[in-house]
Amino acid sequence: MFVDFFYTLKNVGIQVSPTSFLRLQQALCMGLINSVNDFYTAARSILVKSEKYFDFYDQVFAYHFEGVEITEPDAFELSEVARCLLDEWLKEPQELARFLGLNEADLARLNPDELLDYFLERLKEQTEAHHGGNKWIGTGGTSPVGHSGYHPGGMRVGGVSRNKSAVKVALDRRYRDYSQQGRLTQSQMGEALKRLRNMVPVGPKNQVNINETIYQTMKNAGEIEIVFDRSLKNRLKVILAVDNGGWSMDPYIEMVQTLFNYSRAQFKEIRTFFFHNTIYDNLWEDPQRLYRPYAVNDLVRFDPETRFIIVGDASMAPFEIMATDGSIHIEERSGIPSYERLQFITKTFPYSIWLNPKLVDEWPYTRTINIVREVLPMFELTLDGLEMAVTHMMQ
Amino acid sequence: MPTENSLTSFSGASKYVLDEELAKIVNISMALEMPLLLKGEPGTGKTMLAHAIAETLQMELIVLNVKSSMKLVDALYQYDALTRLNDSRFGDSRRDVSNIEDYIQMGKIGKSFVSEERTVLLLDEIDKADTDFQDDMLDVLDQMEFDIIEIDKIVSAKHRPVIIITSNAKKDLSDPFLGRCNFHHIAFPEPDMMRRIIRTHFSDIGKDLLDSAVKTFYRLREVGGIEKRPATRELINWIRALRVDPDFRIKNLIKGNIPYLGILFKKSPDYLVAQNNIARLRI
Repeated sequence: MFVDFFYTLKNVGIQVSPTSFLRLQQALCMGLINSVNDFYTAARSILVKSEKYFDFYDQVFAYHFEGVEITEPDAFELSEVARCLLDEWLKEPQELARFLGLNEADLARLNPDELLDYFLERLKEQTEAHHGGNKWIGTGGTSPVGHSGYHPGGMRVGGVSRNKSAVKVALDRRYRDYSQQGRLTQSQMGEALKRLRNMVPVGPKNQVNINETIYQTMKNAGEIEIVFDRSLKNRLKVILAVDNGGWSMDPYIEMVQTLFNYSRAQFKEIRTFFFHNTIYDNLWEDPQRLYRPYAVNDLVRFDPETRFIIVGDASMAPFEIMATDGSIHIEERSGIPSYERLQFITKTFPYSIWLNPKLVDEWPYTRTINIVREVLPMFELTLDGLEMAVTHMMQ
Repeated sequence: MPTENSLTSFSGASKYVLDEELAKIVNISMALEMPLLLKGEPGTGKTMLAHAIAETLQMELIVLNVKSSMKLVDALYQYDALTRLNDSRFGDSRRDVSNIEDYIQMGKIGKSFVSEERTVLLLDEIDKADTDFQDDMLDVLDQMEFDIIEIDKIVSAKHRPVIIITSNAKKDLSDPFLGRCNFHHIAFPEPDMMRRIIRTHFSDIGKDLLDSAVKTFYRLREVGGIEKRPATRELINWIRALRVDPDFRIKNLIKGNIPYLGILFKKSPDYLVAQNNIARLRI
């Protein structure tokens, strides 16, 4: 029963497990569920494990049991979908050029953002005009961009996005929240991060030191002498700043994802910020870098003992780091070059490092890497590199 | 099913207003013998729910307040080696030094296992502990037994306790953990619900006071830039204060003259923000 429902939930991106589905069946068998309302609450509490997904659950439920259409992605989602599709398409530039009615030379001249805008416009035209069967963007036979109205996989681009439901693509929102998802594959990285734990004795003397107790007792000729130690408490605080913008970081996202997944549980306190290429006036708390800026100047509020870890490839145009208004984002115009911002960070946090997913061999060929290395100690994002980074931060 | 008869019996306690949805979830979790994980803003009554269940079903409530430094074994049992060492030296206690079991004390989870009656086990603020603790604990709760290593004795639960777990969502819980729980997110109560909650606490409260206090409260919650917004607990205490103050007139509230802000806003920056905004509030 309700197998379709289960799979629709799965398709919209809610993490539902077969075990929980079986449990729902069990509840049904036990006669605990007697109405649609019962089913709604029971299925939700059994299948859905986070309030983040309640909204999706409601949509799917309404769709399945009431026949309500699942809403189409809004403008923001659309742009994210487009971005994802574009990513895929860029792997086949000739195809893309053909679809967009440009020749390849023109295509090469557009920068990613212009390209995205252009693409998005086509896509919008397409979404609106498609019902008549008028194909703007298409590969033989399939109608690549179009929405089927009720299906959760509303928009999809056949043949290119490899049948990944488009709403799912929208939900993926590439960097949305690294910490939640992602497979735990590179288990060694977790091991390496564990070494970041800094055990400092603080707190009350309430732990028996057995060796010392035995020694002192013997010394006392058998008169028991119990020696207490301070209990250990993990005090390490960490700020992670991750470059999640730009195409150059894309290949490393999965690696960063793993790093995040592990680090969350490892430390006393961990704050995560995002930036694009290098740090200017603001860091961002949301992966989209839109809504929640955090002024770099405010970083002084953190404990200076905090380990400040920047993850990024440090590959950009030199002016982005050196010029007074180097940011490629128009709205970030502060008059202070990123170079000084980085210096400010190292001054605030003596334990700052830069982790670079690019391997050491490639560093000499990128000028900005060398510039960053003048300010911050840089380590590569490998097990060895992490080891070195940890040793450096523990000094 | 030993639980069959208690299925429908939970429908709210004397000081707890239960919404229908949550009642269903509680009953289903009890029937399926699954731990129920509750998330939600502070002050939405997550902890109170466990108290209410215990009260209604007349079971003993065992509360384990999870701390970040806690190890799983602390929650299961403790082996008091120091007392044993002391006893063996002075020999003036009634305990049998050669019997280690005399020096084993059950922790909270252990207690709920060995209890003769079915109990309600509340694991409060589970998110404070680290992930290993959470996963290991769920293993124990799944198997309903644990091993006392010192005497190699397996303690298994006489009755499967009703397990309520609360989390303030400071950290994300791990997937295997979530997989073994039922989940519910308690939203902040709507004004109507809040009125019912207040009435259970102050059965003789006047309608005017109730209405204007609740109204003021929700206005105050909407004030921007507040770090810790006042919750149910604060509202109840505030109303208590209003009621004992002989000089208090409901008219004052309507005029926007709000006394005892300190009961509602407990952080000094919040207090200042609220105070500055009150002038603009027209209730």
